[in-house]
Formats: sequence, C-alpha cells, structure tokens
Amino acid sequence: MKRPHSTNALSAAATILLTTVALGSAGSGASSLSQDGPPAQGGTPATIPATVVAAARKIANDPQVMALIEDQKSDAAAKARWNQFLELVRIPSPPRQELLKAAEIHRRLVNEWGFTPAEVMTRADGILAGTDTNIVDGLPVYNACVVIKGSYSSQAGAQQSKGQFPKVLVEGHIDVVNPEELPKSGDPSIHIKLQPYSQPVVATPQELAAIPDELSFDARGRVVENDKYATASKVFADAKDAEAHGGVRIYVPGYGDMMPSTSNAFVLAAAMKKHHIKPVYDIWICGTAGEEGKGNLAGVKQLYGFDQKAGTGSNPLNIVANFGLEGGGTVNFVGSYRFEMKFKAPSPRPDGPSAPEAMAAAIARIADVRTPTDLRDDAPRTTYTVGRASCEPPPGPGMAVPSCSLEVDMRSTRADTLEEMRHTIEPMFQAGASAENARHGRKNNEEGITLELMWFGLRPAFVATSVDNVAVHAGLQSGIQLGALTSPMVGTGSGSLNDNVPAHTGVPTYQFTLASSAAGAGGHAFWEWGTRGAPATEVARMHRVLTAALIVAGFNAADGTVVQPSVGPMGKRTREVVR
Amino acid sequence: MKRLISVLAFTIGVAAAGTPAFAQQSGNLRIEFQGPGGHSYGAYRRVSALHAAARAVILIQGALPAGSYQITNLTGGNSVNAIASDGLIELKLTAGNAAAYKALVAAVTKAAAEGAAAENAFRGVKTGDLTSGAPATVRSKVTPF
Repeated sequence: MKRPHSTNALSAAATILLTTVALGSAGSGASSLSQDGPPAQGGTPATIPATVVAAARKIANDPQVMALIEDQKSDAAAKARWNQFLELVRIPSPPRQELLKAAEIHRRLVNEWGFTPAEVMTRADGILAGTDTNIVDGLPVYNACVVIKGSYSSQAGAQQSKGQFPKVLVEGHIDVVNPEELPKSGDPSIHIKLQPYSQPVVATPQELAAIPDELSFDARGRVVENDKYATASKVFADAKDAEAHGGVRIYVPGYGDMMPSTSNAFVLAAAMKKHHIKPVYDIWICGTAGEEGKGNLAGVKQLYGFDQKAGTGSNPLNIVANFGLEGGGTVNFVGSYRFEMKFKAPSPRPDGPSAPEAMAAAIARIADVRTPTDLRDDAPRTTYTVGRASCEPPPGPGMAVPSCSLEVDMRSTRADTLEEMRHTIEPMFQAGASAENARHGRKNNEEGITLELMWFGLRPAFVATSVDNVAVHAGLQSGIQLGALTSPMVGTGSGSLNDNVPAHTGVPTYQFTLASSAAGAGGHAFWEWGTRGAPATEVARMHRVLTAALIVAGFNAADGTVVQPSVGPMGKRTREVVR
Repeated sequence: MKRLISVLAFTIGVAAAGTPAFAQQSGNLRIEFQGPGGHSYGAYRRVSALHAAARAVILIQGALPAGSYQITNLTGGNSVNAIASDGLIELKLTAGNAAAYKALVAAVTKAAAEGAAAENAFRGVKTGDLTSGAPATVRSKVTPF
C-alpha cells in the first residue's frame, strides 16, 4: 500500500477532541489498571446452578427452538447464510466508518429479515435512544441493533432503570481492519478473490489484485451464482481437505475477523422473529462498531455508556448480561495502551531538524524493544507494534515535511507488564525527537522537533476474580447441553475483545462464535482469507447461542411454561452520570 | 560506511566547485517495504515493514552526507492494532553529478536492504520462511519517481 502524504480528516477531528481526555487518562492510567493477581493456571471450573442446568435442557429441546434449528439445517438456509455473509463482507467497514455496512444491515432488517422499523434500535446517523453516550471520541457510532421483544415489560411490577427494562446483549463487531479508509469515490465494494490452494499465499497486495478469479455481484449487491461462486461455496472439513479436493482461499478482509459470526447473528435474529421466539427480557442483537484499530471499542462504549477516563460504564440501557460472538470463552481481557504522537518540525526549512527522521528515530528505538514475552517463557503475553505512521506533505517545493505521526499499540494480559511496556516505550517518543534535534545542534524546545499527544487509547486489562457469573454459566451449560463441551471449565487465557467494556462495567460476559470456517489466515493483514466450513457447525452454534441467551433472558416456552431469567432485572452499573 | 561517506562527500564537493562537466543532478526515490503484517497481539513476533522502514532511515542518515538527501515522506501500516505490512520512504537526492547521484542511489538501496535485514534478524526470520503460508520476511524495493 502506498500512501504518499495522505491525511485523515476523521482521525484529525477525533484526535483533537480526545486530547483533553487522553491527557487526563494518561495520568491516572496506572490506578485504573489495578488488578489482584494472575489467573489460575490450567482452567477453573465454574459452579453451575441446577436451575441453569434445567433451563438449558428445557430451552435446547423446546419445540419452537427445535423448529428454528431444523429450519436452519436445510440446504436453502445454509445457502442463504452463505450468500448473506458474502454480500455483507464485501462492504468496506473501517473502524469509525461503518456507516455503509450498518446502513445495509438496517435496510435488510426491515425489508428482508422481518422486523418493523420500531424493532430497529439504532439509526443511520449513529444515534441510539436511551444511551448517555452517543458520541465516542468525537464521532458518531454506527452500531446496528435489533430487538427481540420479551414479555417482561408487560408484567405487573416490572422493574426498570431510567426507563430501561432489562435486556441481554448478543453482539459481534462489523468493523474490519482493512481497508484503512472508505474509498472517496466509485464503487466502494471489496473484490473477493479466489485462489487455488495449489498456489502460494499472496506476498503483496499487487499479487492479490492480480488474481483473476473473483466473485461477482449484481447491481443489487446479490452474489451471482456462477461457476466461481460454485467453487467458493464448496464445503470442507479443514485446509488439508480443501487442498486435496479443489478448495480455494477466499480473500476478503473480515473473513476471519469476524463477519461470518456477525452475519449469522442477524440470521439468528431473523429466525427468532420468524419462529416467534419469546424471551422474558428483551434480547438485543447488535453489529457493533469500532472494535478494531482506533475504534477504541466505540460501539460497546455507546451501549454501556462507558467513559474512558473513569474506566467504567453507566449501563444506561440496563443490560444484564453480554454475549460476544468473536469466540474465546474467557473471563479475562487483554489491556492496551495506544498512543498517537505527532512530531512537529520547527520550520519549513529543509535543512533543520526533520519530522520524518525524528519519527524514524523513535520507531527504530521502539523496534528494538524486547517484551517480557520475548524474554521469559512464563511471562504474561505482552506485545507492541508501531501500527501506523504518516507525514504531512511538504507545503511547497524545497520545503520540509511539517509533521509526522505514529500510532503505537502495547498490550498485555496483566496490568504490571502493560505498565512496564508503557514505561519503556513512552520515553522513546522524546528520545527520537531529541536525537534528531541533537543532530542539528538544536535544543528540545521550539528550535527543534516538538511532540504532541494526538490520541490516547486505554483498554484496561481485566482479570476476573471469579469465573462464576450468569453469562459464563449460560455459555458453558448451553455447550454442555448440546455436546460442544464436556465440562464447565473456564480457560485462563485473556481475550482482546469488546467484552472488556461490559467486564469493566460489572456486567457478566461470555463469548462464543457463530462462524464455521475450514481454514483461514492473514487476520488484520491484506491477505486475510478463509475457506468455507460445514454449515452444520453454524447451526449447532446458533443452537448454543440461542439457548444461552434465553437461559439468561428467560423464555416463554412452547408448552406455556416460563423459564425464568437466571439474573435479576437490574443490571450492574459502576458509573452513574447525571445528565 | 565512513569510507562511503568520504567518497560521496568528495564527489559532491568537487561538483559543487563548479566544474562544468559535473552538472548537478537530483531526483526522487521511493523505498517500499513489504512484509506479512498481521494482528498486533495474535501475530506478535512477525516482522514489521514500518519498523524496517524506520531502521532504514537511520541507516540512510549514517550513509549519506548531510544535505544530499531530504526525507519527504515516511508512512506505513493500516491500523494501530495491526503489524504494518507496508512501509514507504520517499526522499529527494541531490548530487553534484551523475556519478555521485548514482552512488547516492546505491547507498540508499543498500540502507533499505539493511533496514529490512535488521528487522528480519531481530525477529529471527530469513528468506524463504513462511508465516501461515505467507512470506515471513520484510523485503525492500527502491524505485525512482
């Protein structure tokens, strides 16, 4: 990718507005990251209540639920899911620019998936009624949410918080790392390329663009079911099977992370509507914005009224449990610091300290950092990268680059190692500027390169003190009931997921997936690809997610009985905002 | 490296003295770095094309005389949470004559390759290595523009 002197107006607007918040957070980052200690090794068993075991059995075998599942097992349903995924994944959806994909989901919700406009809870302009956080990092939030109405609100004495009855959230993100920006003109759709396994994985974007075979779509955005489609639609068990039997790599950003699962969330929503699944509490199914890159978890921050400076949320929608669809099954969440630093040249003269060279000096220093992960086998996983850099173009011939900016990401499963990374890397910004100033005999003031903090991202690490909560219980027991799990063990790993926000708000959360891929690789890179996996796996996973959501939300069963919600009607909140 | 700088400085110096046969020459180079990229957390320890580009800039500083080059752009990567699969340096070279200019280009090309090599060495990958099927190394390419 070449990006000679591009600037990002959206980022610029966001960074200016964020500076105040970021500086405030920067000073208090350590305290907001406090943790009690490392998780136990080797997995921890959850203690699942008998009521949850009984609820899982009842719900999973309910005739209405089974009718939904049987419906999804048909070839026609499998094809419809596959086509829907292909048609959604080709819509570019960079973090904080998800408006095109959100709009298509909104359109299909009403025109094709059976919902009324009143059941669509989000708007094209990013406004979500009921939240106290409609603007995150200075930008609108392009979530796409639909509600499966429950019966609770019509009960006598139903409790609510600030007008919000309890609800369960099931979400998967709709933003994708690539492309970096929406195209400025022309058809924005991504070309979905097909490559036989007999050929090597592409080494450059040019090689990817040169692949002749690609899927076709008509003027309405529907996939054309031609010979290429037939090839791409073949189902395989794994990469070996695909390689041996004519499979192809299907190159498209979002194949792995995470549009198959998010797309199927809306398939599940439509199926729940079609089969008249009636929960007790409302269930919201959302495609969330801003999980990737500088998205800074904007989508879930809107849903949970999360304030970065406070490090917690007001839970304005009264969400009582969260289910993420990116997979993981964990209760611990990776923390991160993210900095965008600008290196500003003192003058437009080309013979003075250089902004790109100062930035290069900083990046070169950072590039040599060894993390605890590099140094010790038993260290908490700790990582970093300078993910992006750019420079302003010189204002005229023979003039200097006015400024350059870098973005660095640091992550760790533990607060102390994350702090260690910050204390190692943060001084390197100034070290780069100082080195460049010294080359020119300049001081670290207006005579030389100066630094400006443009953006600060904070995702506090979260290490659970207990594996027992209603979301984990429902997530595990639904798996046990349906044969996906054999024991109620919670892994000790950490996920870098949207779940970080509900966890820090005190709302129980668990993750699984609705995707089924035979193989894939290249996540977050230009060569992200996948190969179709068994449709039956998708259906089994839908069965599990539906069961889990209904365990927590409660369920009006086909026999007229009611499976009561496994959690009370008041969601936790750790930040109340007076507005 | 110091010897190269001496040669370049001498050549440019002679040109600057005004010898008519040594007409000043300038031009622009684009140095592209390509690597596998990947998830900043999940694919940690892969090489970064942007890190390689920064390493190359520092090598260029050491290899070329002050005033013979101007970095006009340094960019790369698509997202803060992704290892950069691409890096780009654009620079302007100015030399006293064609031979000196050619030497500058050669020095830049060498610095670019060494920047990539340093990044590969830091992450312990070599030509031919694959990561999830894709080339694991960062590679450099220098072209005029």
